[in-house]
Amino acid sequence: MNIYVLVKYVPDTEAIVKVASESELEIENKYFTSYFDEVAIEEALKLKEKFGGKVTVVTVDNKKIDALRRGIAMGADEAVQITDPGLEESDPFGIARALAAFLQKEPYDLILCGRQAMDDDAGVVGPATAELLGIPHASAILGLDVADDGKSARVDRQIEGGKEHIRCSLPALLTAQKGLNVPRIPQVMGMMKAMKADVRKVDLTELGVDPAMVGASGQKVRVLKYEPPPQRSSATMVEEDFPENVKHLVKLLQEEAKVL
Amino acid sequence: MALDFTFTDEQEFFRQTIRDTVDRLIVPRAQELDDTEEWPEDIWKEFASLGWLGLRHEEGYGGMNQPVVNQMIFYEELYRGSLGFAMAVTMQVLMGTYFIKRFANEEIKQRLLVPAIKGDKKCVICFTEDQSGSDLAGTRTLATKVDGGWQINGTKQWVTQGPLADVATVLCTVDPSQGLKALNFFLIEKKTEDRDGFLPGQILHKVGGRCAITGELVLDNVFVPEENLLGEELNKGVTYAGEILNEVRIMTGMSALAISKCALEDCREYANNRVAFGNPIGNYQLIREKFARCWAWYEAARTQCYKCAWMIDNPDNCRVTPRELLELCMAAKFHATELCVTTVEEAMRIYGGNSFCTEYPVQRYWKNAMYALFGGGTHEVMKDYLGRMYLRK
Repeated sequence: MNIYVLVKYVPDTEAIVKVASESELEIENKYFTSYFDEVAIEEALKLKEKFGGKVTVVTVDNKKIDALRRGIAMGADEAVQITDPGLEESDPFGIARALAAFLQKEPYDLILCGRQAMDDDAGVVGPATAELLGIPHASAILGLDVADDGKSARVDRQIEGGKEHIRCSLPALLTAQKGLNVPRIPQVMGMMKAMKADVRKVDLTELGVDPAMVGASGQKVRVLKYEPPPQRSSATMVEEDFPENVKHLVKLLQEEAKVL
Repeated sequence: MALDFTFTDEQEFFRQTIRDTVDRLIVPRAQELDDTEEWPEDIWKEFASLGWLGLRHEEGYGGMNQPVVNQMIFYEELYRGSLGFAMAVTMQVLMGTYFIKRFANEEIKQRLLVPAIKGDKKCVICFTEDQSGSDLAGTRTLATKVDGGWQINGTKQWVTQGPLADVATVLCTVDPSQGLKALNFFLIEKKTEDRDGFLPGQILHKVGGRCAITGELVLDNVFVPEENLLGEELNKGVTYAGEILNEVRIMTGMSALAISKCALEDCREYANNRVAFGNPIGNYQLIREKFARCWAWYEAARTQCYKCAWMIDNPDNCRVTPRELLELCMAAKFHATELCVTTVEEAMRIYGGNSFCTEYPVQRYWKNAMYALFGGGTHEVMKDYLGRMYLRK
């Protein structure tokens, strides 16, 4: 099977993020591969172990290729970086356009990615890429069973109150949910291979993408401003004895917090 | 434009990989590992299967052959988890296998070094005795020349992982009256039905890092063949020990920096959330002063340690003599470890009464930090030496 995994390098969940201004975030320089993408890589590797074939990790990033290195370290075979100054300020739709333009020229049997990136939580790139490619898509999968002939797959999804079982034809794009598997810890030899890996670089010209459809000009969603979360006010202590403390608390909830 | 204080992209990736490994395998059990005296063979096997034990050895033996700077990145991340587990790994990666790689014949390397890199054999080094720690000239474990090899008698103490070891590099004297001039390293395996060797002795119960089982090794008329003398010449043990002392000292510095950083980060979260007199305690000057001092010293010590690591990797470019490099590494270890002890004490003060409760991690940092005051050489001996050397410059 030829499997492509879309990966993204995102700020660590413990990185300090500050609103520097209405138009700018200050993010501590602590990044990692989005966890859901690691789950997708792991699933791809398991399928490769079962069916043979190749796993290629793909990212759209002008600066960092660490997510690609992570994929190679885990066991992926090849890595592709889609990079172009025209991609700066792309929204998820712009990213999807670039990915779809790349993938439509590639011999994929299956495309996997995380259900959402752990920075913007948009969850758009996967479904949008599938739509642009005209292939089936299922999101946030918790189970995947590819048929022996590689032409279809049964997919499990968690839904409210139960599980949904779907059968879809391949090729398809599936987004991975936490719980689909436990991503393997890279071996040292994999890490050494990743440190020396050749990364194929692809730009918008090679993809044949109209620059107006990506970057700032291609945005369907525009960030208007950033606002810090409201400062937490200090706690109000309710100090009376029972039952006066209950009356006082209800009064506060009605008149100050206005939640009753 | 020669100065460059950045790590390469590859080094940052290397760091992230080991960091992630430590976060997944070790950090969740760190409290348990450092408090209980149970060796986690399950974690050891998994860690070894990833290949990290070959950090400094050649690829032909299953190693990674990483430069010293990368090794220090490894230690800096490793020691964020459990001190005990990190000590065991360090013993295996560095001290316990160095002399096998350096001096043993090929048959011994295939039989012992290759499985050691896989984690299948535990290797240790033995220096300390009842009456000799910093004072190596006081070594009394005696190696006597006999037909076909050597007969060895003595007891070694404070051997990290000694009770679990399969192979030991043991510092012995061939003539106690000659002090440092008669010291040699011998390779000795654990006694079995088929082979003479050492026996595990008493276990030493430590304050911190308890999952590394520390104890005595007893050598009772142990015969070893000639090829088990590790060295190109007799009585060069001190010289050979010097080959790894710089790395051992910087590694100890890195361990101290890791503990310091954990303490500072935990305290930051605590100080930003703990409220006293209506404000987070981080708003008060005497608390902020602690962070300012410890953080500034931490950054200085970290740069100093990595600079020394770089100099070990670049002996031709660093423009210091081997003697000067030894002194700089000693100074870096001294600085980083003293800073660590200060930092964990301040951390205890920041946590106040809660620092005395085992539910909070700061007490573990405090217990663990103390080992650095004497691991790799006591500060009292080092300071005397450093001061003497500086006054002669």
